Amino acid sequence: MTTLHGQTDAKTLPFTQEARQPFRLAALKRGWLHVVMVPLALLWLSPLVWILVTSLKTRTEVFDPAAGFLPQVLQWANYPGALSVAPFGIYLVNSVLVTGGILIAQLVTITLAAYAFARQTFPGKNLLFTLFLLQIMFPIYATFLTNFVTVRELGLLNSLPAMIVPFVASGYGTFMLRQSFRQVPTELADAARLDGCGHLGILWHVYLPLVKPTLIAFGIITVVTHWNDYMWPLLVNNSENVRTLPIGLGLLAKSDSGADWTRLMAATVVVVSPLLLLFVIFQRRFVDSFMHAGLK
Amino acid sequence: MSNKSTFGQIASGVSRRAFMVGGTAAVASAAVLRGARAQAATKVQFMYPVGVSGDINKIVSGMVAKFNAAHPTIEVEAIYAGNYDNTEQKVITSLGVGDPPSTWLPINSALQTFLGLDSLADVTQKAKAGDIYQDFLPQFLDTCVSDGKLYGLPFQPSTPVLYLNRTAMKEAGIAKAPQTWTELLEVAKTLTIRENGELKRWGLTIGGGWHDWIFECYCRQNELVPWTKDKVLFDNPAALDALEFWVKMEKAGVMPKASTWEGSANDFMAGRTAMLYHSTGSLTNLRKSSKFEVDVAFMPKNKVFGAAQGGGPIMIAKKQTDAQLEAAWTLTQWMTSTEVQSQWCRDTGYLAVRKSAWETPEMLAYLKEVPQAKVALEQSAYAGAFLQVPGYHKVREYLKSALDRTLAGEIKPDAALKEANDASNREIQRLLRRRG
Repeated sequence: MTTLHGQTDAKTLPFTQEARQPFRLAALKRGWLHVVMVPLALLWLSPLVWILVTSLKTRTEVFDPAAGFLPQVLQWANYPGALSVAPFGIYLVNSVLVTGGILIAQLVTITLAAYAFARQTFPGKNLLFTLFLLQIMFPIYATFLTNFVTVRELGLLNSLPAMIVPFVASGYGTFMLRQSFRQVPTELADAARLDGCGHLGILWHVYLPLVKPTLIAFGIITVVTHWNDYMWPLLVNNSENVRTLPIGLGLLAKSDSGADWTRLMAATVVVVSPLLLLFVIFQRRFVDSFMHAGLK
Repeated sequence: MSNKSTFGQIASGVSRRAFMVGGTAAVASAAVLRGARAQAATKVQFMYPVGVSGDINKIVSGMVAKFNAAHPTIEVEAIYAGNYDNTEQKVITSLGVGDPPSTWLPINSALQTFLGLDSLADVTQKAKAGDIYQDFLPQFLDTCVSDGKLYGLPFQPSTPVLYLNRTAMKEAGIAKAPQTWTELLEVAKTLTIRENGELKRWGLTIGGGWHDWIFECYCRQNELVPWTKDKVLFDNPAALDALEFWVKMEKAGVMPKASTWEGSANDFMAGRTAMLYHSTGSLTNLRKSSKFEVDVAFMPKNKVFGAAQGGGPIMIAKKQTDAQLEAAWTLTQWMTSTEVQSQWCRDTGYLAVRKSAWETPEMLAYLKEVPQAKVALEQSAYAGAFLQVPGYHKVREYLKSALDRTLAGEIKPDAALKEANDASNREIQRLLRRRG
């Protein structure tokens, strides 16, 4: 079709032929990716749209096939209705503190550990690194009881640190960062050493700026994981004032009687929006970082 | 308060000086008393799950606040602990470190699991001192009994019931709910709609995920309790007959091979299935979320009516101080008292455990408004505990897998049940050996 159309175009307007055809080709070349990406983007958006639309429906509208996709009247009351189930404000603050605390602690520990494993030589290094890798392979549920005992002996049960302490080190992050560090040419570190940098100086001025994409990629993974964590916070904490957002969501997902869909979706919107907002704001950086991380 | 009034009387008959002295002494003694009281306020934890619609956590914290206000010497902390499985995991974890909560609310099937951990206080003697054996509905109380001893009190029982889309039944000209298995199949056939071979509506759906619970009801309708406290009886002919009936319904094309618990409720609300086996706990949600008239009926009988109870009792930890144990017992009694149970039943859809709770004026008014709630109570006369064997989690998985594979046509019913029976009994034996 396009070629045919292009030909007639060329016949009727011969003098513009040269100018037009490269333009069309270029447009197609630039545009074909969009043809693939737009449906994919819509597919990816559909659950989010469904969540949003459902959060504004009445309960009878959700599963009534005759009711149509959009709500008859926007039921904004679902939002206060959902938020009144639990003190979501406190939960939000706790979620931010816990997730932020874990992120900061992990960035420090994995950077130091990864540097040691990537660039230092010491006895038992390989054995120790294997043990670190082993941590990735254990499902978190397998270590619940031992972690619980540790947290209890530290006297941290029923507090915010109880949700942070078991996660301050990350085998996965250490592994990821070690691989990135090893790809940084040693000459750069040597040059820095000649300039009088110590280990921390080299780490700060040479390595970290070069592995920023990996750090960001790891940051996203860890934030999403701990933002959504349900079982561990439920296990170690009892009081309302130290609980996190997913536990508030759990209150609306009734296991016996089917979920309270409209309010559950309203609360879900509230719970996921901080993450979505964060992603939209830093979108460019995130995407860049993943591209780079992927290329390496 | 009583202190003050005594004072007034003394003061009227004595000199000012004496009054002052007395007053000071009294203030001092009151302070001492208050101090002693604060010290003596026994702290008790209560871990509970949220399983049904209604804002259970708000209702429970409201109840506990009321209890605390009425009992100054006891301080109860209500702890939301997820669903039944989460709650069990949380309790077992704290038992593991030797620091269990005073009371918790598990599913009744967990009785042998907690007994296996030697974690439950025997409250038989305490219960005999009150009206518990007289006023509690015996079928509910039985779910807390093992070897004639009482471990905890029932708090929120439920059973499966048959939900009906009345509007669809009227359209199909069906006046009454099916009473027997045969009628069930007939009604389901009439209610199934296919257009050009494409299915528009199932006649019946058995809520998946808990279909082993509903299967036990079918066994009980065949006069079989498919377990004792140390083994299961899935290979019994009565169980086989029940499963063969399921296969017959599936082959007749009136019910799906599989479903999920939430999905099946959603299908019912959307009119994609005309009848549904689901928990009484879903009544409020199904009533409020469906555009048609929802009715509730007994699960149809075969030889007899029969049902297995879901829901759970409040259990009391063995390992705690005498003062805590006493406080925990006071709490448990209060939570299962007539007024509290009547309110709890109306708020949640769970069945009240006391006969007297069903006779309160509020309850009688409620039953007039929602007569469906009465069906579950009447059916519960035929109900017993659900699968109280050690390691019930695994046993449930074995049985569910057998049911699923049979309905999917991968295996014959007798072979499937035999396999589930053997695997379950091996698991139970393994746990009993470890315990012994």
